[in-house]
Amino acid sequence: MGPLYPQELLSGEYNLLFAFLIGIGFGFALEASGFTNTRKLAGVFYGYDATVIKVFFTAAITALIGLFILHYMGWIDITATFFPRTFWIPTLVGGAIMGLGFIIGGFCPGTSLTAAVTGKIDAMVFIVGVMIGIFTFIFSFKAWAGLRAAGNLGRVNLPQWLGIKEGLFIFLFTIIAIVTFFFFQKWQNSWKPKMEQKDLDDLGL
Amino acid sequence: MKKIELIIFGLLLLGGFIAIFLPDTKAFKHVIDADTLLYEVSKEGRYISTDELAQAIMENDPSYIVVDLRSPEEYQKYSINGALNIPYENIFDEENLVYFDQDVYTTVLFSNGSSLADQAWLQLRSYDYQGNKVLKGGMNKWYQTIINPKEPTGNALTDKTYNTYLFRKGASQFFTGIQPVPSAVPDNNKTSKPSVTPVVRRKKKEVSGGCG
Repeated sequence: MGPLYPQELLSGEYNLLFAFLIGIGFGFALEASGFTNTRKLAGVFYGYDATVIKVFFTAAITALIGLFILHYMGWIDITATFFPRTFWIPTLVGGAIMGLGFIIGGFCPGTSLTAAVTGKIDAMVFIVGVMIGIFTFIFSFKAWAGLRAAGNLGRVNLPQWLGIKEGLFIFLFTIIAIVTFFFFQKWQNSWKPKMEQKDLDDLGL
Repeated sequence: MKKIELIIFGLLLLGGFIAIFLPDTKAFKHVIDADTLLYEVSKEGRYISTDELAQAIMENDPSYIVVDLRSPEEYQKYSINGALNIPYENIFDEENLVYFDQDVYTTVLFSNGSSLADQAWLQLRSYDYQGNKVLKGGMNKWYQTIINPKEPTGNALTDKTYNTYLFRKGASQFFTGIQPVPSAVPDNNKTSKPSVTPVVRRKKKEVSGGCG
């Protein structure tokens, strides 16, 4: 419970309890919206299912606009939030590895746990793979020192890096996202005639 | 696209459009514009007089925080009762901002004169921190008026100045703990013996309490 626990408005026990309840809610939402289906996530990469990209983009933009306006109204202090420094080279490498894992496995780390709970064996295997990856990185941490320090841009966000106003960036980003949705939807629709009805039902399209 | 998607996209687009007209997060959180700052600098309200501060301290007014901006050495030698020592260089330290970036208390800044405290006030105000005031004349004025007040004479002697003097004399006892030498009866040409104003009476009470 972000602001409540560090402010000591919530004890450690209640913090864990709320984390547990929110976790159950999150897992339920993932399962209910079909994200434990590996084909749903893989669909983003093949172009037959736009759901995941819509969910992520919409969540990001809602938070972006919401925080920005709430900050302006003085309800929240966005300068008190933390974001790490940008190292673009390791971010690119790590993102590519993670994306590859998404396509091969069809899960993201969160959905793999949810899917494992519903009894999917491939999800359990996926979790083992995630653990192998985590421990491999931990024990070879020193070997990656050069890569980790490469491409340091400092603590910078996109509008600063582009040198434009934050509000303008938010507007442009919203437009880009909606245009992306539009064309992705067209791509998805072009797939539909080629897919069998039971596949469409399976994906909930 | 489904109808619900169109509604959501419409709302997001509207939010994004509104965002264009809002200022950057850094700019409006911490900096007030030059016009406002200049206006507030020119206002007398950012000062507190030594008399007001002395009264507040003697009354144990809990709404005041007194901050000594001088060096720790000077603070060790003498400072105003109950003052915190936050040297000028350290006013933006994270642990000190709690005193400056708030609007519950009145934080009174002082240094030897007014200029250092004025600089500190200006810097704090430019980050839009509220509730800070400068002790007018600083430690020097404090010494002249509260610790070692001069009895008004000649043209300067009026009811008002004499009452102020009595108040300061009382305050001096409070802050130094020195009992007054019984002084001669005030000058004959004084228009009238100062009627016992609430201010004076209160001070006397406070003084006896403070010394007892």
